[in-house]
Amino acid sequence: MKKAILYINQFFAGIGGEELADHKPEIREGLVGPALALNAALEGAEVTHTIICGDNFMGSNEEEAVKTILGFLEDKEFDIFFAGPAFQAGRYGNACGVISKAVKAKFDVEAISSMHIENPGVEMFKKDLYIFPGGKSAAAMRKDTKKMAVLGDKILKGDKNLLAEVEGFYPRGIRHQIWREDAMPASKRAMDMLLKKLAGEDYVSELPIPKVDRVDIAEPIADMKSAKIAIVTTGGIVPVANPDRIQSASATRWGRYDVTAMARLEGGVFKTIHAGFDPAAADADPNVIVPIDSMREFEKEGRIGSLHEFFYSTVGTGTTEAEASRMAIEMIVQLKEAEVTGLIMTST
Amino acid sequence: MRLEIGNFHVKDAVFGDVTKFENGVLTINKQEAIDFIREDEHFTNVDLVIAKPGDEIRICPVKEAIEPRTRVGSDASVFPGVTGEVAAVGNGTTHALKGCSVLAVGMTYGSFGDGLIDMSGEGAKYTLFSETINICLVGDTDEEFEHHEQQKKNKALRWGAHRLSEYLGATVKEQTTEDKEIFELPPVTKRSAEVNELPSVVYVMQPQSQMEEMGYNDLVYGWDMNHVVPTFMHPNEILDGAMISGSFMPCSSKWSTYDFMNNPTIKDLYAAHGESVNFLGVIMSNLNVSLEQKNRSAQFVAQMAKSLGADGAILAEEGYGNPDADFIACFVALEDAGVKTVGMTNECTGRDGQSQPLVTLDIKANAIVSCGNVSELVELPAMKTVVGNLEALAKHGLSGGWEGDEVLGASVKEDGSIIMENNSMFCGDRVCGWSTKQMKEF
Repeated sequence: MKKAILYINQFFAGIGGEELADHKPEIREGLVGPALALNAALEGAEVTHTIICGDNFMGSNEEEAVKTILGFLEDKEFDIFFAGPAFQAGRYGNACGVISKAVKAKFDVEAISSMHIENPGVEMFKKDLYIFPGGKSAAAMRKDTKKMAVLGDKILKGDKNLLAEVEGFYPRGIRHQIWREDAMPASKRAMDMLLKKLAGEDYVSELPIPKVDRVDIAEPIADMKSAKIAIVTTGGIVPVANPDRIQSASATRWGRYDVTAMARLEGGVFKTIHAGFDPAAADADPNVIVPIDSMREFEKEGRIGSLHEFFYSTVGTGTTEAEASRMAIEMIVQLKEAEVTGLIMTST
Repeated sequence: MRLEIGNFHVKDAVFGDVTKFENGVLTINKQEAIDFIREDEHFTNVDLVIAKPGDEIRICPVKEAIEPRTRVGSDASVFPGVTGEVAAVGNGTTHALKGCSVLAVGMTYGSFGDGLIDMSGEGAKYTLFSETINICLVGDTDEEFEHHEQQKKNKALRWGAHRLSEYLGATVKEQTTEDKEIFELPPVTKRSAEVNELPSVVYVMQPQSQMEEMGYNDLVYGWDMNHVVPTFMHPNEILDGAMISGSFMPCSSKWSTYDFMNNPTIKDLYAAHGESVNFLGVIMSNLNVSLEQKNRSAQFVAQMAKSLGADGAILAEEGYGNPDADFIACFVALEDAGVKTVGMTNECTGRDGQSQPLVTLDIKANAIVSCGNVSELVELPAMKTVVGNLEALAKHGLSGGWEGDEVLGASVKEDGSIIMENNSMFCGDRVCGWSTKQMKEF
């Protein structure tokens, strides 16, 4: 019998809701909460342990949480990893994705989860693990767990060629060629598709084009002389100690830094942690990426009302669109609170 | 235009005293054929080899494939502007040796656009030319200027193969056959009311034309496709020798001359003509490298399709990477002109399948038939016999081969087994329409 381990949050472990979301990671032998349904649905494996972690703890102390959980697993034998189902719970979805990705990378086992399509964890992690479309709430527990188990059994049996459209998981952006069983040649497929398209009937493109999020250009700022302007950069300029531990590539973290009373950003005080270009020029003069010096001149000249007291920074290289938009949404809250009128976005 | 192609099915090919086609057997006087090829004094060494489906034969580096043909009641060449004077084609009678192809194969040298064919085993599922009886013209030439270049024009070998295909085709010049294919498509404005009521469609072809220097690109009536703006052609011209393949594109994306002469998409459009569509004809575009040229071609194609009254189009590109920009630009231009379009292409998703499928994408390209991943890794055991020089796969810069890799080693192993990218499967992605492969999400 193969062995499986399941990750769940504090709520589904029966520990408590929001008030206990800071619950530190723990591992328990045997079945807790959803592990019962998963274990019952699995044919070729048994769930030996359940890992429990509070959603807030994972969200705020990701590094520590991941390290602790990977530590739990070091002396465990297991062949496959499950997380969730996370339904529509965003932080739970994020936690399932984070821990599955880390476990997969460290122990070279496949990881399977389930999330409702509106769970942001889908966009963030569907490339990293198998995620099934799931229900909105725990009412779908049995159904969602069953899907995870069926795929788990197939993987454990050594089945290759697991196609998204057949198994039902969210496409992971992993595309390979197959030989069609019906051997229908491309010319006939094209004719068929063309006739359907001409007739306004449904057809399935063999290369679905992902939708691109386009942001409309904003209305111009009517009165620049009284505008409060902020700088947001993906160029990775941070205080030299990098207090927010922003990653040098594939960033998921960001920070904002007070520039009150600074006429410019000094080299040696600020630097770039961006790994995608030669940092020499930006380290010597961080203003080439975050131009506090020029903004102060504009302020003096009265061309802008004022410069916002913070600049906002993250790293753009390798950063996913999903992470970037999440970070932007988080920044916008603070920018709006500070009644910033306009932003200057700088890259590298 | 009315084209009649008389089909003579080749069941076997052998060497013998007299070059002839009789009772389904193509017999070739090897020495005479070699002497004929060597009339081009650029050849320094020539051999002829017959490779049949099921043989334990690996052929590499393959540069071109051609169906042997001849014109009936005419001395005109099969490939105007290439093997003879420029003359109109697509009207009249042509005889063809079916199930058979002439291959141009390097005896020593390979180049970027060359490919590999296995005649049996796992490797035989990749290309149509594992299913044809292949008359391999294997040669060395005095084209020393390019012996050590990765990009080669391979002119003597390619032209030699075109001439050999005419030489073999001539065996059926005076014979008769019951198996005839008729391709007849009246002028666009002279069609019956019933046909005119059907949705009108064009086939937009984007043959390879990326090289700025002449001698590498596909040719139309002998004219380099880099030097054309899109033009309207009768499909019979393409089926009847007006287009020949080039010597540049990574091989799985290539359309050989054989593919042009037998283009299955044209044949399917013909079959649907009068039934479900009104097949207007072919808009022959190209794949030049600069953005301005790409946009110009897309604009020409869309205008022509619109002016012809096309409701729909099938659009196909002979290439990937840079040509994806032409493919998508043309797709968008057609859609913007109100022409409902279906694209045919392959993808470059990387060995792990995770790269963006095409260099550029557009939400308007919403109907695509996708025929393969150029970068898929292919491992194949050794074959008993190699025709050509297998080492070329590793050493001469074939798009899917390599000399050394930290993890995978060289493409060609000591025991004759190989590891390569799908890129170098000879005409392996068959975007011209043969492909039974499809891309899927894993």
